[in-house]
Amino acid sequence: MRHTMKHLFSLLTTLAFAVPTVASDSVVGEPGVEGGLAILTKKALCVPLEGQQVVNNAVVLVRDGKIEAVGPRNSTAIPSGYEVLDVGDNWVMPGMVDLHCHVAGTFDINDMVYLTNPGVRASTSVVPNNPPLLRGVAGGVTSVLFIPGSGTNIGGQGVLLKTALPTFEGMRIKDPGSMKLAQAGNPERYMFRVGRSFMNYNTRNTFRRGVAYAKSWEAYERGEGERPKKDIQFEVFRSLVKDDIRVSTHTQIYQVVNMTIQMVAKEMGVPVFIDHGTFDGWRAADMAQEAGVNAILGPRNIDVPTASFISWSGSNPERIQGVAAGYQEMGHKMIGFNTDSPVIPEEELQLQAGIGMRYGFDDSNLEAVRGLTIVPATTARIGHLVGSIEPGKDADLLVISGHPADPRSSVETVFIEGHKVYDPAVQKRRW
Amino acid sequence: MAALSFACLCALPVAAQETAQVLIAEKALICGAEGRETINHAAVVIVDGRIEAIGRAEEVEFPDGAVVQDLGSRWIMPGMVDLHSHIAGSGHNGPVFQCNPGLRVSAGVTPHNEKLKLGMLAGVTTVLYIPGSATNMGGQGVLLKTGPGDYEEILVRFPGSLKVAQGNNPRRWGYGMANTMMNHQIRVTLRKGKAYAKRWEAYERGERERPERHLHLDIFRDLEAKRTQISMHTQYYQVVLSSLNIMAGEFGFDAYIDHGSFDSWPLAQLAEELGVAAILGPREVLWPRARTYPKDGRVEGSAWGFQKEGHPRIGFNTDAPVVPQEELPLQSAMGVRYGFDNREFAAVRGVTIVPAEVAGIDHQVGSLAAGKDADILVVTGDPSDPRSAVEMVWIEGEVVADVRGKYETERAEVRRW
Repeated sequence: MRHTMKHLFSLLTTLAFAVPTVASDSVVGEPGVEGGLAILTKKALCVPLEGQQVVNNAVVLVRDGKIEAVGPRNSTAIPSGYEVLDVGDNWVMPGMVDLHCHVAGTFDINDMVYLTNPGVRASTSVVPNNPPLLRGVAGGVTSVLFIPGSGTNIGGQGVLLKTALPTFEGMRIKDPGSMKLAQAGNPERYMFRVGRSFMNYNTRNTFRRGVAYAKSWEAYERGEGERPKKDIQFEVFRSLVKDDIRVSTHTQIYQVVNMTIQMVAKEMGVPVFIDHGTFDGWRAADMAQEAGVNAILGPRNIDVPTASFISWSGSNPERIQGVAAGYQEMGHKMIGFNTDSPVIPEEELQLQAGIGMRYGFDDSNLEAVRGLTIVPATTARIGHLVGSIEPGKDADLLVISGHPADPRSSVETVFIEGHKVYDPAVQKRRW
Repeated sequence: MAALSFACLCALPVAAQETAQVLIAEKALICGAEGRETINHAAVVIVDGRIEAIGRAEEVEFPDGAVVQDLGSRWIMPGMVDLHSHIAGSGHNGPVFQCNPGLRVSAGVTPHNEKLKLGMLAGVTTVLYIPGSATNMGGQGVLLKTGPGDYEEILVRFPGSLKVAQGNNPRRWGYGMANTMMNHQIRVTLRKGKAYAKRWEAYERGERERPERHLHLDIFRDLEAKRTQISMHTQYYQVVLSSLNIMAGEFGFDAYIDHGSFDSWPLAQLAEELGVAAILGPREVLWPRARTYPKDGRVEGSAWGFQKEGHPRIGFNTDAPVVPQEELPLQSAMGVRYGFDNREFAAVRGVTIVPAEVAGIDHQVGSLAAGKDADILVVTGDPSDPRSAVEMVWIEGEVVADVRGKYETERAEVRRW
């Protein structure tokens, strides 16, 4: 009977390509379903933040949408009644996490009425299962931070979402998921000819007011003051000051990465990470590491010397500088990758890590895999839910034919919270 | 005199024997004419700039006094060939007329410039430097090596091709030009050129008077004699259809798809029947678009499509600087990502022997075979894996780059990335 139901579920997903059906009571491993799924694999890339990164000849147990256990086959018992899925020579890894995504909905995420807009929410534009996002699923992306554009210095609040679930409520991991800050370049196009010094002044002004607002609420909650007046423009700062969410900064060249560190992290004390890190921002990597500012890099993962813009000095000025390699060589430990989709298509997140490696990023401790999974998950404060294969976490899993930083590796199956959301064996392949 | 010549001929191999080099590698990707061909524990003998022998290390005879280098776990492969490059010089778009078969990019070559050098360090040893696509015939390309040397030293063949461009770019020329008028104009020029070439052939057979010389049509004598080819900047279905039917079908020239992209693959069988190879890039995928390419929401790889239809000659190009010259191997890797079957090393062949054959220079480059130029890459692993690094480049028996073992220790000093 179960087998028949599963077949029916597969058939449904095949027919409804554009909107994969997530049946609620049909397949083991899914939330609310009795029994579980045991995935057998040659190699499980578990990549927890600390501890054993790889389990060879592994079994991954999935139950009720969560990872129940992971371990070597010879010492991990498969409970009776569990359905066994042997993926042969394929590997299993956590679903990938992209912290710079603009394709989870419509493009009306770049309102430019004010120069800083901390109250604006990207979550109002989400369209579940839209085609660019589903292509991302076929590329192994299971969680995204859908954020406003960079037309202004503070575009608004991002939202953390799962990619292939059919409703907004089902997709939502955290809303707000971040506050988007953008510096240099793009927001300079805002009218009235704002330059970098004015932008920084204006951003500081907004942050000071926001932090003061959050602190007045904290004081009230400790019983030390009157109830402050609610201001929806600044509500997001209450989550930021608690380090429940962080500022995702569209930042790129040295001087503005430096401002991210000096102004946001140090002066304001607001938790922040580099998002869309590119160009020569790596030269500030040692300061970023010290200030606890994680580095999520892309869409441009190399820097080519350009006369009068970025001219390398030193003994090898003609080199192409890998951005991730630069951060790594400066001693940064929390380096991840993003797409800025649609600038880089959502499905090419893994290629961002591949380019990182081609241009010098060392992967000998699976840094490239971590940079697609646990590093961005931890950075966005959802590391307790996703980003690694550890008991208790969401069963967001990929079956993949090889190392994810090799673009020739193909994602064979995608699970989100135990739902099989992409399976080219029964669905149409997306490429 | 005869004795003297004989002495000179003898002297050459003797001198070469003194400089013989032998490379021993874990694996050699031969990239020969057919199929998957590799040699494990291979040795290649390099004498006087050419490959003298290649085979299993135990079986190859090393010349006396040869310098033998064991490359350990590294692989060797032929230097890569890019048939769509715009970075070997400057001034290659002269859009005064709509068809300019007389213009020559060879007039603008800057050997071993910075961008070529980067390409060379990534393993690209031969390029077809061609005019831009601002007109329907931008002029004549030139086949060059990427390594150091003056123009004559790096020259592989001139004319390397006649560049024809169709589709969007040449529409910008002016006067509301669109596909039908452009195709008409191309046909008019090809007819004139073919007639010109035939007049010269008749003259050379002694059948008519010496024709008047026309500089802008001289290239057609090379085309008619199959000494060069037409490289066709062509991309989507209807444009590729006219490329095939006009250039190869109607006029019978050696022509190949260069810069093939978008939805051209459904024409793969027609292309094969007409003997037209498919060199693909810079855009390796076709994205679904609601109106033009619905495709059921699927991303289609160009190389996958041509291969699926059974096309036997599929290669890759960069269109440098559109895709940087150093990312040629990445073009083939993207082909694999989007469905191109690489079990027979088709992705490696697509950047070596396939483009070499297509451009008619496979007697000289494109595979590891006795008698060919010693253009050899030493790579850390499978070259279609972009994480593999090219650590040593040989061009015509000279080491033009060597960063072996310095990756971990001295990268900031010696490597370009």
